Amino acid sequence: MRKILFGAFLALGVALAQDLVIYSGRGEALASPLVEAYQNQSGQKVSVRYGRDAELITALAEEGDRSSADLFWGNSPGALETLRTGGQFRPLPESLFESLAGFYPQDRAWVPLSIRMRVLAYDPTAIEEADLPASVMDLPKHTELKGKVGWTPTYPSFHDFITAMRKLHGEEATREWLLAMQSLEPKGYASNVPLIQGLLAGEISVGLTNHYYIQRFLKSGAEISTHYFTPGDVGNLALVTGAGVLTGAQHPEAAQSFIEFLLSAQAQQFVTGELMEYPVVSGVVQPQSLLPFGELGDRAPELDPSQLNDLEGTLALLRELGIL
Amino acid sequence: MVAYPKFNLAWLPAILVGLGVAIPLFYLAIRALDAEPAQVVALLWRPRNWELLANTLLLAIGVVAVATLIALPLAWLEQRTDLPGRRALTLLGIAPLAIPAYLLAYALLALGGRGGLADLALGLQLPRASGYLGSLWALSLYTFPYLFLNFRAALAGMDPAPEEAARTLGANPVRVWLRVTLPALLPAFLAGALLIYLHVLGDFGVVSLMRYETLSHAIYVQYSSAFDRVYAAWLAFLLLFLAGLALVLEAYLANRWYQAARSRSLRPRALVRLGLWRWPLAFLVALLAIFGLGMPFWVVGYWAGGAWSGVGEALRNSLLAAAPAAALAVVLGLPLAGLAVREKSRLSYFFERMAYLGYAIPPLALALGLVFASLALVPGIYQTLLLLIWAYTSHFLAEGLGPLRSSWLAVPRSLEEASRALGSSAVRTFFRIDLPLLAPGILAGFTVVFLSALKELPLTFILAPFDFPTLATRIFSFSEEGLFAQAAPYALCLLGVGLVLAGFLRLMLERD
Repeated sequence: MRKILFGAFLALGVALAQDLVIYSGRGEALASPLVEAYQNQSGQKVSVRYGRDAELITALAEEGDRSSADLFWGNSPGALETLRTGGQFRPLPESLFESLAGFYPQDRAWVPLSIRMRVLAYDPTAIEEADLPASVMDLPKHTELKGKVGWTPTYPSFHDFITAMRKLHGEEATREWLLAMQSLEPKGYASNVPLIQGLLAGEISVGLTNHYYIQRFLKSGAEISTHYFTPGDVGNLALVTGAGVLTGAQHPEAAQSFIEFLLSAQAQQFVTGELMEYPVVSGVVQPQSLLPFGELGDRAPELDPSQLNDLEGTLALLRELGIL
Repeated sequence: MVAYPKFNLAWLPAILVGLGVAIPLFYLAIRALDAEPAQVVALLWRPRNWELLANTLLLAIGVVAVATLIALPLAWLEQRTDLPGRRALTLLGIAPLAIPAYLLAYALLALGGRGGLADLALGLQLPRASGYLGSLWALSLYTFPYLFLNFRAALAGMDPAPEEAARTLGANPVRVWLRVTLPALLPAFLAGALLIYLHVLGDFGVVSLMRYETLSHAIYVQYSSAFDRVYAAWLAFLLLFLAGLALVLEAYLANRWYQAARSRSLRPRALVRLGLWRWPLAFLVALLAIFGLGMPFWVVGYWAGGAWSGVGEALRNSLLAAAPAAALAVVLGLPLAGLAVREKSRLSYFFERMAYLGYAIPPLALALGLVFASLALVPGIYQTLLLLIWAYTSHFLAEGLGPLRSSWLAVPRSLEEASRALGSSAVRTFFRIDLPLLAPGILAGFTVVFLSALKELPLTFILAPFDFPTLATRIFSFSEEGLFAQAAPYALCLLGVGLVLAGFLRLMLERD
């Protein structure tokens, strides 16, 4: 009888008390191989709830004290910073940060786990790389690209990019850039995969996107190239994914050991080799098509992730200009 | 008709449905009250919203129109003509229900452009589907079955006598069609059109892929980029206002047009001979089959290559959630529809409208409302399958109401009265007389809700238990990352299950 009850319990999908509970904004496709490897190695049972960052954060807000979540594993600095500034992460030991090359908040409330880079995707059959701008700020000057530019106005990485531009170039320059971009009549895609499909179909010739989408399409033999802007340009913004242990966690040690696993050479290798994102620790073998590990830091503009927390201001600006 | 219904057990499910919809509305109100008035005004009264509002309404009305232009001729061909293979048209009219909207949108996107289907097959680079026309195209192909099912049932159940009388009195066929047949189809049109209108209001998947901006776009941005529950609630109310307008309008028109419950006629009627017209008509039907059914399969087949190992688990989870939800929707919807047909009153009208309103609540708001309510009232069911099933039921119940309502219309009161007069109890009468007559409507309602629950995404993401991947969530999480080959086995499985169910529904309708 107990067995049957237990079976029914499992069938209902209830997390057991000793399980480590992860809220993962990273998609199941990317995260579940890592979760499985961790379970096999540590013997720790893990329950995961997948969703978008936003869905999980709003769910956490509704759950309040009753949440069973131990760890938030997020896709964007915006999401991680929202939880950090809301006081929802507990501080992590210094030892976790020893091997890292930066990209984390000063109070060490969350750990970066991989890096994504903003880039310009272009269609090599339609345009020469030499004709592309050195700075993303000059992209609107290329009036020959009118109607052939793609972007993703509703996508979180795009918002982080605009927030970074506001920090580095100021409110006025950002507004001018957005206005000038609008006169290029850019096509607004829902997310990066449809944008790249649009580029492959010849609908657009260039698109502002994240580097790994291009890499994944390259793997399948698509004709598409990456344009990096000059070192330090905001167009090369580095965006981290990361994780933090929640204040209400019932299994903080297990959560921390999971973060340690994600920083291990094995997990970082998977993140780079399979998902085509940049690792946060050195010594990982990278695919040829990515920038060498050290060069990423030189290319990306210098910006603390906690500078990216003024999402409200960015959304207000985009709304005011009718982009959202 | 009784003005003040006496209370009986049939009201219990109706009240449950009403509560199920009231809870998320209450939740939205609580969240909305947290807002700063000045910011609400700034958010709601900006010119852009009028543009989004106009976009939303234009699309909703356009889709209703195009879906009618597809569904009505198809139902007529299937019911009234000698088109070769016309029985198979039922499947064509149902099967799109089995196809997730975003798959259909992907398929239409894959038709045009460089390397698109037209390019590969004919060397022709068509412009890619996008904007208003792309959305109109995709959503019409996807939603016309809601109207088709209604038109089909109405044509099948129509008494031939008035049409014959009109013809005997010298009216030509066109005039008979316009003056007799078409007016009799209006109730069927209203019920289906309402569902399609509400569906289009809430759609985000198709319009975002087509780059057409509607109000649900604004709600999505508010929830997803701003991590905001307060101002999103206000936008949700704006959307519900649009839904409410349609609910009132439909009720007003229906009141004018609905005829009294009629018994259906089993008298056979002569079929219209199409003659040479059959060929161009068959060609149009074939086009519909290619775009509505063939293309999604083609796209998924083109992706193919991923592993099948996780498909079994995802299929099991999908069935575990969708089947009980569809069964519950029928159990609650049957009395609800019965009251609306039999006990016409303000109250029965109110509860039926509530079910439609539940369909119009943005799914993200519904899900958060259920998180909020379950944690406050019965924390034990949070993150269990039970809550997910309840969410599916309260969201999709309205889709099942149409078939349930028409099946109630087909049960003659006189038969029940005879059974009672002969000494049978009310319960016995229900099981021996009503249930067999209601069976086709019950199965149709079950299947429609089941197919929708199978494809559902936003509710599933927020409310599913831990480690509970479904076919739909797997397809989404792979294709979101551009890993289409891995998504393909799940998509094929979903399409397969959907088609089997659609085929099953067709068989049930044939028997009817």
